[in-house]
Amino acid sequence: MIGGSAALKTVYQSVRRFLTAEEVPRWFGLSIVLIYLVGLGTVANVGILYARNESSMQFQHSSRNALQQLADQLALMGYPESDNPAIVNQYQKALHRFSTQFLSRIIRVANDKKIIASSVSTEIGVLRSKEDSAISGPDSDQIRYSSDWWIRLAVPFHRLAKNTVVDENSKNTTTKSNAPVYLEANFPPTPPAISSLSSTAGTLSIVLAVLGSLFMVYRCLREQLRGMSRIVDRLHTHRHRIENELGSLRIANTVGFDQIIASWNELVDLTQRLQEKVEHTEATEELTRALQNVGNNSLAEALHAVPDGMIFITDENRFEYANSAACRIFGWEIDQVKNITLDTASATGIGLKILNIILSSRQSDGSFKPYNELMHVDDAESKFQGSYRIMIIPMHRAHREGECLVIIRDVSQQIRAERAREEFVSHVSHELRTPLTNIRAYSETLSSGMFEDPKVMTECYNVITKETRRLSRLIEDILNVSQLEVGTIEITLDRVDLNTLLSECIRDIQGLADEKNINLKLILPPKLDEIQADRDKLSVVINNLLGNSIKYTPKDGTIIVGCQSTRDEVVLTFKDNGIGIDPNDHGRIFEKFQRGNEPEVQNETGSGIGLFTAREIIRRHGGDIELISNKNEGATFMVKLPHQESRAASKSTSEEN
Amino acid sequence: MASILVVDDEVSVVRVLSIWLERNGHDVFTACNGADALTQIESQSIDLLITDMNMPYVNGVEIIRIIRDKMKKELPIFLLTARCDQENLVERLKQYSVHVYTKPFVPSRLVEEINRLLGAVTL
Repeated sequence: MIGGSAALKTVYQSVRRFLTAEEVPRWFGLSIVLIYLVGLGTVANVGILYARNESSMQFQHSSRNALQQLADQLALMGYPESDNPAIVNQYQKALHRFSTQFLSRIIRVANDKKIIASSVSTEIGVLRSKEDSAISGPDSDQIRYSSDWWIRLAVPFHRLAKNTVVDENSKNTTTKSNAPVYLEANFPPTPPAISSLSSTAGTLSIVLAVLGSLFMVYRCLREQLRGMSRIVDRLHTHRHRIENELGSLRIANTVGFDQIIASWNELVDLTQRLQEKVEHTEATEELTRALQNVGNNSLAEALHAVPDGMIFITDENRFEYANSAACRIFGWEIDQVKNITLDTASATGIGLKILNIILSSRQSDGSFKPYNELMHVDDAESKFQGSYRIMIIPMHRAHREGECLVIIRDVSQQIRAERAREEFVSHVSHELRTPLTNIRAYSETLSSGMFEDPKVMTECYNVITKETRRLSRLIEDILNVSQLEVGTIEITLDRVDLNTLLSECIRDIQGLADEKNINLKLILPPKLDEIQADRDKLSVVINNLLGNSIKYTPKDGTIIVGCQSTRDEVVLTFKDNGIGIDPNDHGRIFEKFQRGNEPEVQNETGSGIGLFTAREIIRRHGGDIELISNKNEGATFMVKLPHQESRAASKSTSEEN
Repeated sequence: MASILVVDDEVSVVRVLSIWLERNGHDVFTACNGADALTQIESQSIDLLITDMNMPYVNGVEIIRIIRDKMKKELPIFLLTARCDQENLVERLKQYSVHVYTKPFVPSRLVEEINRLLGAVTL
């Protein structure tokens, strides 16, 4: 039982394997063909046999009829009594005729004892042996004598005989019951019936052949349809992924049938591209809607307030958004921005430069190269000087190559400050070295012992003294600047007698004025002017302003220093008739490291920190410095110092508020 | 014994150099700007030039270039400068064979070299 089922299983498995094998083994095909041939052969054989059978059956049938007729004929001829030669002769003729007509082998008339007449003349009179016993054949009139088959028909005398002797004498009609006489014909045997075995074999082989062919057809079709079945399999397996991972539907290698699978893959690719495009369009619409929302809410307002220019460029090279700073630079209206594309945009001046920068950083695939550089502008016409940091930031969202953010930052002030600082450093180092040079040279002169002329020696001492003072003032300036920058400068208020202070400063600087033959006048009010201030810092302010006046007043000029006091404040004035200051520069020259740009100023040494320092100090006192000047019309600096009590008062009122 | 021209917009520098050079027996001519200096070089026979770098209108380098390239004068030149970026300067001036001294300078050493160049005796 178990063995049987195991065997069955093996058979089933091997059949299954065979059926699903990749390639049909070659022998299978050949064997199918052989089976076919065998089947055909058998069929042909059967056909032939059948046909023969049929014809012989027919032949038999017609022969039998003829035999019957012959038998009737013979019956009409009369009973062959005691070998009546006449009748026998007739018989003989009839038989002869028959046999020629029908080509039977032997045909005879016989009774049980002997052969009466025959187509074979030698047989006539031959006694029947016992051995010739008749064995009935399948048909009722078929007998068998030894190995041959004969048809035996009884001659129907009783029916047809004309001469039935009726003896009148005997009242008893003694019809002689004659011994039966038979007509026997030897016909070729019927062909044997088609044996059941061969017919079965034939049928089976036909069936097998047909099955085999069907199988071959199936295999061929399957090969053909493999491409399709793979597609169907793939679709079925990945049906849940279709929406998100269209690419999983691609079929990798193709073993033959490239056409159909290649076409399938193409279809998948196309659909994928379409899908991406749709997503992209949807995303762009989303983005557009989001940006529109941005435009409608406070974020947009905030961006408009940002001093940097901000522009957002979509991947259709359209200016999707530009804040008001950017619009100002390009000269656009904020609501016009959406209609502008990179290629149709127009601008002038700085805007044009920036546009060119954006255009030149656009690459062939539509994306933008990152960019972060300074752009310096020096327009001689409009006398506009500035520096901008232009930043192009490409956005790297999937499938959106051409988007970028452009930021335009005005860094003019920083650049100016940097440049001024660099200039300051080099100026300062130069300025420091000048007095040092003098001190060094003159002290060496003194110590060399070569020059004993007292005039020369006095000169040396004076120079050294002056230069030392100059050096210390410069260092003081620098220190003040750093302190002011850091915010650690301290104003220590004390009672300061302005008249004395001013006199002292003028005295100190008289030498410099004398070099240029400048008339330095001090106009003091009769009353003593006192103020709460930091004396040292205030002297720095006075020295700076005086120094400037002397520097920028040509030879034989005049400088008038005055001091006036009101209830709230004290005003110190420094008026010169020097080269003056262009009103455009009035604000700038108070900035750190800034000086006038005129050649007359540039050719003088200066650090650019004097006015800055002075103003900061005065502001710390709660005051300010005002300037009245025009080019070539001299300059008047007015230092306003509030009285500290009134300052305190105003301070407290502002605190109360 | 040579004629030396000293050019500097700082009067004190000109003065101290004059003192030293005269003490060493040279004739000293002075100028406080480039234009004046060039005029003097053209009109007089100057054996040696000492000039400052930073001067208004025409700076030291300009003066040297004009003297060497335009006037084709070969006189020895000493340049005094307070600037820090020396490498550039030295490179540029190599072609003009100029002696560069940074400020603050030591007068004695300067005068020594000048005397050596002129073949005079240093005092």
